[in-house]
Amino acid sequence: MSDATRSRLGPLDYAAVVAVLAALGYALASPRIESQGDAARMLFVHVPTIWLAYLAFAVTFIASIAYLVTNKLRWDHVAGASAEIGVVFTTVAIIGGMVWGKATWNVYWTWDARLTLTAIMLFVYVGYLALRRVIADPEVRARRSAVLGIIGLLQLIPVHFSVTWWRTLHQTNTFRPRDIQMDGPILAALLGSVAAFTVVYAALLRHRIRLEKLEHAARAAAAAPVGPVAGDAVTAPNVNRAGGQP
Amino acid sequence: MSDRFWQQAFAVARRDLDRERRSGEVFWVTIPFGAIALLLVPLAVGINQDVLTRIGTGMLFVVVMLFGVLTAVRRTSIETPEQRDAIALLGVDPVAEFTGKAAAGAVLLLGFELVMAAVALVLYGLDIGSWGWMLVVLPLTAVGLAELGTISGAIAASTDGGPALVPLLVTPLAIPLLLGATQTVSVERNGGNLAWLVLMTTVVLVLAIIGVATARPLQETR
Amino acid sequence: MDEAKPLVSLVGVAARIGAATILRDIDLKVSAGESVGLFGANGAGKTTLLRVIATLLRPSRGVARVLGADLSSHERFEIRRRIGLIGHSPALFPELSLLANLEFSARIVGVPLSAAKDALEDVGLAAAAARLVGESSYGMRRRVEFAREIMLAPDLLLLDEPHSALDPSAVELVEHIVAGVLQRRGAVVLASHDVAKVAPMVTRTAELAGGTVR
Repeated sequence: MSDATRSRLGPLDYAAVVAVLAALGYALASPRIESQGDAARMLFVHVPTIWLAYLAFAVTFIASIAYLVTNKLRWDHVAGASAEIGVVFTTVAIIGGMVWGKATWNVYWTWDARLTLTAIMLFVYVGYLALRRVIADPEVRARRSAVLGIIGLLQLIPVHFSVTWWRTLHQTNTFRPRDIQMDGPILAALLGSVAAFTVVYAALLRHRIRLEKLEHAARAAAAAPVGPVAGDAVTAPNVNRAGGQP
Repeated sequence: MSDRFWQQAFAVARRDLDRERRSGEVFWVTIPFGAIALLLVPLAVGINQDVLTRIGTGMLFVVVMLFGVLTAVRRTSIETPEQRDAIALLGVDPVAEFTGKAAAGAVLLLGFELVMAAVALVLYGLDIGSWGWMLVVLPLTAVGLAELGTISGAIAASTDGGPALVPLLVTPLAIPLLLGATQTVSVERNGGNLAWLVLMTTVVLVLAIIGVATARPLQETR
Repeated sequence: MDEAKPLVSLVGVAARIGAATILRDIDLKVSAGESVGLFGANGAGKTTLLRVIATLLRPSRGVARVLGADLSSHERFEIRRRIGLIGHSPALFPELSLLANLEFSARIVGVPLSAAKDALEDVGLAAAAARLVGESSYGMRRRVEFAREIMLAPDLLLLDEPHSALDPSAVELVEHIVAGVLQRRGAVVLASHDVAKVAPMVTRTAELAGGTVR
């Protein structure tokens, strides 16, 4: 097993744990945002998770282009791993947003443009992950999902336009983190947690790519059970038994 | 674009429409299915005529999106690996193939839309500001959806469970078309429709560019 | 056609399907006027090798040139029109008639539609032209594919198990098509597990085993 596929925790993982604990500790210790109450401390989790989701999908987009240009499977591994992390963080962001919305407006869902867009984005990448599951051939899968990884992000641009446009026509209560008075300590805590979550992303990505490589290797091993080529998988039939003896 | 290109695109479109004509899948399955969906809504939400008229246009386009996407996964648009190989060996230009398939899909979708619009008009009494806008919006939606369906169909082609995946791939990406269509024709906003129309047209053009750019990598089975 | 250069030239070619290596280190040359019979047991990689030569499966290693084009480059798209492949299962559209299937091919490559009708006549299916493929027997479908190759007149014809489901007169037909390609100074590669049956059609044989040509 090569070094890249070994499972032990690396410095990045410890750094991620320490960074998140430090950032959240700092966020909890930071002054209360008077206008919003303690629920506003959700900010320190919500903003980083949504930032990570965008970062992860942007990485998928870039890795997809890189795959189509270079034809190197490792870019496909990066794209797939990053999309998976992105879907997890998008889900966390949506659930977090719902909890926050319940605390602030007493409703789980508002037809806020940002929230609607995040939900649409989730479905785009759930589709992307579903596609990766149904294609067995690694190269076909890499090419098709790279195309989808590119189209998905490009098409999010008109989706973004249309939804924000639609919402500006029917304005209701919209949550904007900008509305919160960002003075020094709060802004510092926010930036700190964004940085900490980014380290978490890097650590997860590293592990997920490692798993992707292992999966690839395992499939290759299973596909060639006997000799160096698959043709050796077929051997002479056992005629005596096949003949149906009592 | 050479004569040869259009000749090939036309041959592909004609083949798809011929196959549909023989199998009748859109006509006998998708259209009735969409119509019954329009029938179900009043049963579920109540038959208050004012309410129905207000939601009619929206329901029409929701059904066009959700059920129209089924035309992209009709049995006759799905090719076996052998058929794909044979078409590739005819030396077909992948862009011409995309163009032909999307064109055939758009024709089928437009037919589907027209029937759905008629059914919705009868069942709900549509609150349409101007039928003129409708005549522009329906073909634009058909072309955009057909492009998305053709691209997604190619992405999911020749895979187990691929066709079942196409609606999931198409629907979120079709949202600008849904919003563009409903906003353009909605009465309360007569006046701002041109901007939505520009958005829809842009989406249709961008999807055309994407379809052209990805035609070759998606045609290659390996 | 340049007589000196072989139409098919594979040197050290390997191919994978998914993660599985099917072919390794294939060396094969086929010159104009040659018909090569490819033998091997089930799973030996005959079909995969035909797909590599047909430009449909890109080699993972080695140098492969077919009809002058490098198969790992974009040149492979240019020669596809000149390659004919008849595989295991007929690649026809079941909802279209036998004639409409051929006419579709004719429209794509730009030969007159009358050629489709002529070719159907050549394979003895003139009377069944209007019948749907879905309602035709396996043997009839194979004949339609032969008609397609008659119509398209490829420089390189690839046949995968050409004898399956054929009656004696159809076998004669295949031999006639192969002879036609060779007469045009084209080349034929046919894969089979039955050496005796294809013997009249080949000028040379090669055995595929362990993922390589022996």
